[in-house]
This record gives sequence, structure tokens and C-alpha cells, in this order.
Amino acid sequence: MILVEELVKHFGAVRAVDGLSFAARPGQVTGFLGPNGAGKTTTLRMLLGLVEPTSGRALIDGRRYADLDNPVERVGAALEATGFHPGRTARDHLRVTCLAAELPTGRADEALELAGLADAADRRVVGFSLGMRQRLALAAAVLGQPPVLILDEPANGLDPAGIHWLRGFLRHLAGLGCTVLVSSHVLAEVEQTADHVVIVARGRVVRDAPLAELVGENGGGLLVGTEGPDDAAGLAAALERAGATVRVEGERLRVSGVAAAEVGRAALAAGAVLTELSAGRSGLEKIFLELTMAELGGTDPAAGDPAVSTEAAS
Amino acid sequence: MTRLIRAELLKIRSTRMWLGMLALSLGFALLGLGFYIALAGAEMNGESALPPVTDPATVRGMYASASAGTLFMMILGIIGITGEYRFQTITQAFLVTPRRYRLLAAKLLSYFLFGLAFGVATVLFTVAVAWPALAIKGGSTSLLDHDIPMILGGTVLAMGLYALVGLGLGALVRNQVAAIIIAVGWVQLVEAIVTVALPEVGQWLPAGAVRAITRTTGRFGGMGELDTLPAWGGTLLLLAYGLAFAAIAAFTTTRRDIT
Repeated sequence: MILVEELVKHFGAVRAVDGLSFAARPGQVTGFLGPNGAGKTTTLRMLLGLVEPTSGRALIDGRRYADLDNPVERVGAALEATGFHPGRTARDHLRVTCLAAELPTGRADEALELAGLADAADRRVVGFSLGMRQRLALAAAVLGQPPVLILDEPANGLDPAGIHWLRGFLRHLAGLGCTVLVSSHVLAEVEQTADHVVIVARGRVVRDAPLAELVGENGGGLLVGTEGPDDAAGLAAALERAGATVRVEGERLRVSGVAAAEVGRAALAAGAVLTELSAGRSGLEKIFLELTMAELGGTDPAAGDPAVSTEAAS
Repeated sequence: MTRLIRAELLKIRSTRMWLGMLALSLGFALLGLGFYIALAGAEMNGESALPPVTDPATVRGMYASASAGTLFMMILGIIGITGEYRFQTITQAFLVTPRRYRLLAAKLLSYFLFGLAFGVATVLFTVAVAWPALAIKGGSTSLLDHDIPMILGGTVLAMGLYALVGLGLGALVRNQVAAIIIAVGWVQLVEAIVTVALPEVGQWLPAGAVRAITRTTGRFGGMGELDTLPAWGGTLLLLAYGLAFAAIAAFTTTRRDIT
């Protein structure tokens, strides 16, 4: 169980984390989602005792990280995939942690096996790709078989097969009852793995809800394009007769409650040509895009910080 | 603490940095030895360049060549902590040992121990070159006379202590390049000047402490030329430097956020 309460971190004048609260529960993958610079990494580093909070609490099983007895066996962490000495082999990198945490050194090989790095165990990290470094970071995280996992952007640099493997891996751990907190700025990643989503922007929680709730609400459904407003009106009527909920947006329709095949049949019956038939954006994607766009556009009125206003002006 | 020391020793052994530093240390010892072997008793412009190998000062100087590499052990100590910041392995280190002063203490002890081993290697190498050279040139082949046990034992101790000082300095400075420049600049430049200009001050500096421990009190290993502390004084002085740096670091730089 991970509990973050009213967490605040200021770096000079920058409020990186600004009163953030959420919880991540056992048996669930909690996605920690937000655009770059939203304060995700700083929050995770405060959870892990690497960054001292300005105020608030970040607790793991009710205790601060520094107060855990053998932290490696309580919490596994994979932060950015850069914390390796280039001249050290993958196995030695893990064996150092095994010795320091009093784990049997055989765990190093088991973790490498699990992360799919067994063949590279005796290679120096200098020759590793970003994907291999990510796998090594994950291997280090599971070394002590911890019930809590905190992963910062673990899919960065993984190839599609690696991402697929990662999803399975996280689902497997959650299935074993682990608390998995995984940050990402890539929506698709979280959408396919997480049970619960915490969306942050500008150091604050914007949404904290089960994934199913976010995906289902205000949106989803199908986007249907037609050749003109008349066709659109005709098709809308046909669809409503078939039991769909329809919103007309000019030449386009937003349809929910029926499958794509039903839209096709209705179009045939109404004699309307379809120019588009696609799955509408889920609520999660909408929320996330709105936040990201606000961030990129600098339209937020709170952007009083000079660095941001200069950027917006230029 | 034992487990942390074992982990630190594996960190040192599992990269090749220590081999490079050992090679440099042995190389510098060899340079000093070559200098003595070539010039001891040789005539230069009608004068003897160095006293002959029968002179105790030359014998002492030859064995004292072993201590030429202490600086490299200090650099290894500096890298021992600044390298963790440089490659961000400090993150994993602090995740395993969130009470950061404990990691620092384990590093101080580990590098002291490693420095002793490094010192033993350098001393054995020096003896392996110096002893046959002295035997061939007709010098003393005793390893017990002329303070030689003091010089060799002192070199081993000085290597351990220098590693500790380097580690403390590195913990305080954090930036690897800056820390190495400070260390080399200080020992090679500042101290070299102070030692000649103000020997009564120089004896209180790290290199002065090494002279005290290894009993190399004069220019070419001759005794009694410079103000020097007793051996135990030099030992305590180096220990104090290393621990003071580390203690200040434990309350300042080591506490900083790891972002």
C-alpha cells in the first residue's frame, strides 16, 4: 500500500509537486499519468526517500522509506535507466545490491532470467541498448521479491515485444497481490495495463479513478462521417431507430450503444455514404490530451512563472 | 556494516578503475627506483649525483619509492564516491541504504581496507625490484635495517589513509573532475610550495603526514631535513582529515536530494 498525502516539493521558486494526494493498493496496477514535467518523477523519488519533501507525507505500508527495515525486500524501484556504471557487468551490478541487502547472490541470476537478460549477464553495461538498461533496472527492482513496486517510465526504450512483456510482467505481479505504481507520459501504455489511474498536471492530481470509469465516461462510442448534413440527419434517424444514442456534429455523428456493423446496416438502409467510421476517443485520452495541450499551449492563466511566459511569448 | 563493506569491495573490484590506478602507482614506484638505480653513486661533472647504494639514505630512498603512488590511491578514493554521483549509481546505493551516513561509513572503511591491500601490492613490487638491485650493486640486502620496516609498513598505512582522505574529499565535493583537480593541485602544487617555503606548516598537511608515516623526511629520503611529525602524529592527522571531510559531507552534500 502506497499512500501520498498533501505532498509538496519546491525547487527554489518552482512548485514541482503542489499538494498531491493519492493511494496505490495491493493487487492493482496504478498508473501514474501526466505530461512531462507534471511532477511524477519527483513524487516517486520522495516516496523512495531520495528527495526530501517540502511538506506532506509519502508512506509505504504506513512508514517512510528510510524507516523500512530491509527496503530492498519491501519496495522494488526502477527509476530512469541510467544508474549503471558502464564498466560493470549486469550480474555484478545486481550482485552489489544482493551483498548490501543480504540477499543470496543467486537472486541476481534469477532476476536477470526474469528480465530476459540471462544471455547478457556477463556483459559490461556500456554495450547495452536503452531497452536492455530498462530490463536491468527492472531486474534490480525485483531482486528482493518486494510486495511493492515503484516504476518510473519503465516502457521507455523498450521495443514492442519488450512493452508486451512488461505489460504481462506487471499484470502477473499485481495478480500475486503486489502493489504496482507505474508512471508514464504515454497513455496507451497505462490504458492497457492499469486498474486504477491517477492523472497529474502541474504537481496536482487532476483525476484519481478506476480505469474503467475513465474509459467509459463522456465519450467512447463511434465516430461516423457522412457526405453532408442531409445524409447525417438521415443516418441519425436510422441509427436512433436501431436503438443508438446519436449526437450530430455537422456532417459527423457521435454514436454510442451500437456496434460498427449496426452503423453499416443503418447507412445501407438510409443510402448514406460513410466517409469515416472509427472508435471515438476514450474519456481517458480526452482528459489526458486536454491537459497536455494546456501544458504545451501555455494557455493556463496560472503561468506567472517568467520562464513559461517567455516561452509563450516567443 | 559487514554486508555494506562486502558490497563496496565488490563495487571496486567489478570495474577496471583500480587496475589502472595500481598500474600508475607501480609505474611511479618504478620511476623512482629507476632514478636511484641509475644515479646512485654515479659521477656527474665530477660529483656524485646521489650517494652510493652503500649509503643508508639511498637504501631508504629506494624503498620509499613505494609511497610515490599514494596520490593514485587518493584519486581512487575520490572516484569511489564521485563516480556514484557521476553514473547515478548513488540512487541504487541510497535505495539499498537509505540511512546515507551508513553508506558513507561503509565506504570509508572499505576504501581504507582496499588502500591497505593496494599498499601491500605496491610495497611487494618495490621490494621485488629494489632488493635484487641493491644486491647486485653491493648495497644492503637487509630488510630490517635503516628503518625499512617503518618505511614499507608506513607506505601501506599511508595508502589506506589516503584512500580515506580521498573518499571524504569526494563525498564533500561530489563533482569528480573538480575533486580530482583539487586533490592533485593541492598535493602536487600547493603543498609542494608550502613544504619548501614553510615546512613548519607543511608538516600539518596531508603530504607532510605521509612523510611522517613513511619516515621519508628529506628530499631523497634522507632523514632530518624537513620539520615532520612523529609517525603516529601523521597517522592521526590523515585520519582526522578524512573523517572531518566525511563528517562535514554527511551533514551537507550527502543529504542533498537525488534528482
